[in-house]
Amino acid sequence: MSPPAEIKLDEILRALLKRHLTDAEIYVKRGRSRRLERTPVTETSSTSQERAWAVRAGNRRASFFAAATGDPSPAGPWPEPAPGHSLELPEPQAVPGWNEPSDFDTPLIGEREGLKLLESLGRELVSELPDSRLLRAVLEDGSSEAELANSRGVRARTRQRISTLYIEAAGPGRPAVQASLYVAAREPRRFHPTALARRLADRLAVAAAGAAPERDTGEILLAPVVAARLLAGLLPLLVGPGPGSRLTGARGRFGSEKVTLIDNGRLPGGAFEAPVDGEGVPTREVVLVEEGIFHQPLLAWWQEVAAHGQPSGITRRPGWRDLPTPGPTHLFLKPDPRTSVAALLGSVSQGYYLIDVTGAGRFDLPADRFALPVCGFAVAAGRASAPVSGAWLCGGIGAFLRGIAAVGRDLTFHPLDGMIGSPTVLATGLELRAGAE
Amino acid sequence: MPFSRLDAAAVARTLSQIAEQPEDVVDAFFERREEVEVAPEGDPGSLRVWREEGFAVRLVRDGHTWLASRDAIEPKPFAEALRQVARAFSAATYPEPALEVGPPEPVVAHDLLEFPAALSRAVRAHHVGFPLRVAVRRHRRWVQVVGPRLVATAEQENFFSLTAESTWGRYGALLTQLDAAAAAEVAGAVVALFRTRQSQPPAPVRGTVVLGPAAVAVLLHEAVAHALEADTLAQGGNPEAAVGVAMAAACLDVLDDPAAAPEGVRRTTDDEGAPVVRRWLLRGGIVEQPLADALWARTSPVLLPGAGRRGTRHLPPGPRSSHLEVLAGETAPEDLLAGAEEGLYFAEASRGQLDPLSGEFVLYLPFGQRFRRGGLHEAVGACSLRGRVSDLLTRVVAVGAESRPAGAGWCAKGGQKMPVWATAPALRLEGVEVSP
Repeated sequence: MSPPAEIKLDEILRALLKRHLTDAEIYVKRGRSRRLERTPVTETSSTSQERAWAVRAGNRRASFFAAATGDPSPAGPWPEPAPGHSLELPEPQAVPGWNEPSDFDTPLIGEREGLKLLESLGRELVSELPDSRLLRAVLEDGSSEAELANSRGVRARTRQRISTLYIEAAGPGRPAVQASLYVAAREPRRFHPTALARRLADRLAVAAAGAAPERDTGEILLAPVVAARLLAGLLPLLVGPGPGSRLTGARGRFGSEKVTLIDNGRLPGGAFEAPVDGEGVPTREVVLVEEGIFHQPLLAWWQEVAAHGQPSGITRRPGWRDLPTPGPTHLFLKPDPRTSVAALLGSVSQGYYLIDVTGAGRFDLPADRFALPVCGFAVAAGRASAPVSGAWLCGGIGAFLRGIAAVGRDLTFHPLDGMIGSPTVLATGLELRAGAE
Repeated sequence: MPFSRLDAAAVARTLSQIAEQPEDVVDAFFERREEVEVAPEGDPGSLRVWREEGFAVRLVRDGHTWLASRDAIEPKPFAEALRQVARAFSAATYPEPALEVGPPEPVVAHDLLEFPAALSRAVRAHHVGFPLRVAVRRHRRWVQVVGPRLVATAEQENFFSLTAESTWGRYGALLTQLDAAAAAEVAGAVVALFRTRQSQPPAPVRGTVVLGPAAVAVLLHEAVAHALEADTLAQGGNPEAAVGVAMAAACLDVLDDPAAAPEGVRRTTDDEGAPVVRRWLLRGGIVEQPLADALWARTSPVLLPGAGRRGTRHLPPGPRSSHLEVLAGETAPEDLLAGAEEGLYFAEASRGQLDPLSGEFVLYLPFGQRFRRGGLHEAVGACSLRGRVSDLLTRVVAVGAESRPAGAGWCAKGGQKMPVWATAPALRLEGVEVSP
């Protein structure tokens, strides 16, 4: 297969300019992936190779987006741009030095190794929770290279390497309770079957035996996945001009002093680590909230004039079919390296330890409230006292942020809207209820 | 048809080289897709065109599937893919069949560009006016399946998808035509969202509910079609054990018939090249024939293939519904409401959700109306209908006498998103739980 560099992107830009499309961008992507799936009855091994491109082109009056498999040609055929919509593209910027991670070159997981990983997940699950069973496990491992050029002079090449693992399992008994989890890492050798099986087994055991309190408050310890889901629900407040400041108080306070929120497109080891974003704009670390004080929202280059703050490369382009859109890459709540999870749990005199999210949450940002279905344990004197399931964690969004009393050191990222990371969080001022309302 | 020049016989001969055992399933799936979208006014890249073509080669042996896919229809990648699924040494060579495909057709978008204005006019005909963000997209897909012994008929699908967003909610639809009737149908739905914007949801109640054909389509797609997919059934045990189980009231006959789907999306073969079947999912409320593809049909003589569908060439096919048909009953439309003292009427459902293990089902209803003594009265806001599938479907007490195209929607399962279509009458259910 030809590498992207062999396609003459400049020729395509010139051909578009001849059609009076003064702003034009071409993006070419090559990728390969392996997908392994295991159910109690079937096993599937797939390999696919992707070869495709996308062009955005326009002028002050009209624009189009065209994307296709194969190689682009200066001759097109190009669609007629639709009037009424203009297109703007970024100017070139100096890209700070960046060392490509060595694991970008690791080969995709082999069929046998991948299926063994899935098989061991099933085995570990049964050893953690007898009579439970894996319903479906899907491992996807892929790598890609992309090249981008625009008529303003931006030229960029990027590589990606990502693996995801989706697991669905059923607990013992009939009707069996069900749980699933979805994780991502740069390569599949970072997935640990024992830890993942334990997490699923905990979920299944709690769901089978637990009950929800009618209504209760107290200190609530949120496992990283629960806190990350809450952060993901807040993204509309953190991305783009305007809304972020809505939650700040008179003195710019967004959360407690334990709250430092950062997004970093070049986070070392991050699943989406890259020197530039999907439009070729350099990525960098952006501190959105520091020790509770709101600094700025996450801004793309074209949003700079609309809000106070420094823009950065935050335009995501998951695939050639997707139009570039702003969003976080690795957004996380900064951990406290001095605080262990055991110390946090030990500090809870009366409350709950919520270990997972069991479904889709409800976020009403204008009304400042949320509800998230969760499971976990009731905690008394620092020890789990009873399983909790079918419960909803409810409260105000501002109250959640201001009520964060402590954060742990166990920062973990989860594939939500981008990679969202959080350590274990000790929250106050929230409620656990039997229903969402 | 882009695949008319494909040397299907040469492809078949090449595939026969890797079909080593009589029980092996081997096929090549060729597809071309084209989507053209007019984005909402103000969005950049307002005209959007996606074009893709490629193939997948598949081998199924002893419950294991190997699949290799490429984003090009060319001889060399085909031979490479074949070698991958055969797990042959790289030195092994397979013939490279001629894989010539027709050029893409020019992009046509005038009907898409005109539809938002037609929709605005249709909304104004209701004597209301409000801003709407409308995105409308044409979907075209061509499919050719070749096996070692059989070359299926080439298939083509053409339809449109639409989303209309207002301050009061989002409405999505699949349409086979972009004509005045389609504009009127979409306008009716978005105006209903507008008119019920301040309506309060009903208090939790267990009572009588009448569902219009569009809401019935969503209910039965989730509660019957999904529940009777062989892979879903297998999560709880042996799929063939479902056959003969009384799942719904005796008045309910539900079929899946891709050949009876609306023009433009009608199929004679499935995405595995097998002839489609007029499949009785429920006859008199009793499960008769679950949905199965070639892989599941091999696990049991009770299961018939013909319902294999692929959302993309990069993933293997699975058993899925295409066109759900609920047979009309004997109750006149006016008697559906008059048959109960009072209740709730829901014309539309926004989505449904089924937990296949517990059987818990939720139908989300964006708006509705109360009815009393046969007449429709005040509107109610968004709410949901909940229950266990096994209980809910036995609560159907009357089936409307008029079955009509009941809308359609996207159905996502296992990472594959597909359009699904339905023809249904209205239904009356008694003793069902509705809550905000």
